[in-house]
Amino acid sequence: MGFIKGTASYVRFAVEGELPENIWDFIADRVVAFAFKDIDETYDEDSLGWVSVSNMFDTDFDYASYASGNYVTLSMRLDERKVSGAIVKKFVQKEEERIKKEKQIPKIPRSMRVEIKERVQNELMRKALPMPSVFDLCWNLENSTLLFFSTNKKAQALLEDLFKESFGMTIIQQIPYLCGEHILEEEDADKLVRITPDIFT
Amino acid sequence: MDLVDLISEKRFVGQEFLTWLWWKSEERGGVVALPGEGDIVVVFEKHMLLEYGEGDSNESLICRGLQTELQEARTGLLMGKKLEQARIQLVYNDYEWNFTMAAALMEFRNVKLPKTVGESGNNDNPEEREGMILERIFLFEELNRIVLELFRLFLQIRVGAEWREELQKIREWVSRAERA
Repeated sequence: MGFIKGTASYVRFAVEGELPENIWDFIADRVVAFAFKDIDETYDEDSLGWVSVSNMFDTDFDYASYASGNYVTLSMRLDERKVSGAIVKKFVQKEEERIKKEKQIPKIPRSMRVEIKERVQNELMRKALPMPSVFDLCWNLENSTLLFFSTNKKAQALLEDLFKESFGMTIIQQIPYLCGEHILEEEDADKLVRITPDIFT
Repeated sequence: MDLVDLISEKRFVGQEFLTWLWWKSEERGGVVALPGEGDIVVVFEKHMLLEYGEGDSNESLICRGLQTELQEARTGLLMGKKLEQARIQLVYNDYEWNFTMAAALMEFRNVKLPKTVGESGNNDNPEEREGMILERIFLFEELNRIVLELFRLFLQIRVGAEWREELQKIREWVSRAERA
């Protein structure tokens, strides 16, 4: 968060690959094709896709709401059903106790325990409500850079995949070294390859 | 080299930049001259994080407090630690940004944008909303541009012949921490 309001944390990416000539048609098409799909009424474990930066329920993008000048602004929304380990453990034990009583057996065989755990986990997962997280981005079409408003590594990895799937282009995090390669003249960039750490004392 | 290796092998580039920028700003009392742009206020404040070693043997030192108390951080440099994070105030063209730079990956954290007139606008109006978004984009991009200009200035010196002389000056500044 923070792109639209308040303080923000972000990292820079370079976007690599060619955009077709009809840029905005292409983007309109791809954004809608990979828009977020709600899983509240399904049993899906998770869902990932694009929503509008100003409203996480907006997946229609009326009037190309993602277009701001030469920038594309989007949010990546992830909804995930999660069940904590402690809850799974509790219900697995409960079910094991029930079966032991019902079948009058002192111990449950290993193969059956595996089956119970899987079944309980699936049932709990279906009952869990999807937890949403939203991450904003701002893509500069003019110089092919992108700001991603999260320093979370998992979110960054998800973005790399979703961006590639949606637009067929690769994004590369601009760590200082890679950034240096971009901003230096060729001759200096060649020298950058060879520098080694120096000690400041 | 893949990105994971590149990140660990080239960590020092960002950390040396941040350390250099700290020295550069202190050299002229919080002002850095940027070619083509003029003087920019760059003040290191309140919060710093230094790192030592790599991987499992990685140690860190956090220094908080007023500017004068950052002496402790300089003593950290003296012990061979490297500056990994710092809270920076940057003033340019009447705009003031406050942000934390995480050096190894060049992450901009807790960025506080300059106060502008548009902030109190009505966000329900789509046109005003777009104006507000464009303004925020401009302010983020302007911060990136200035930081990258400073980074370019550092890199040009770092890969050039004058680095030895610059490094000598930084070392003298670091060693003054011991005597202070």
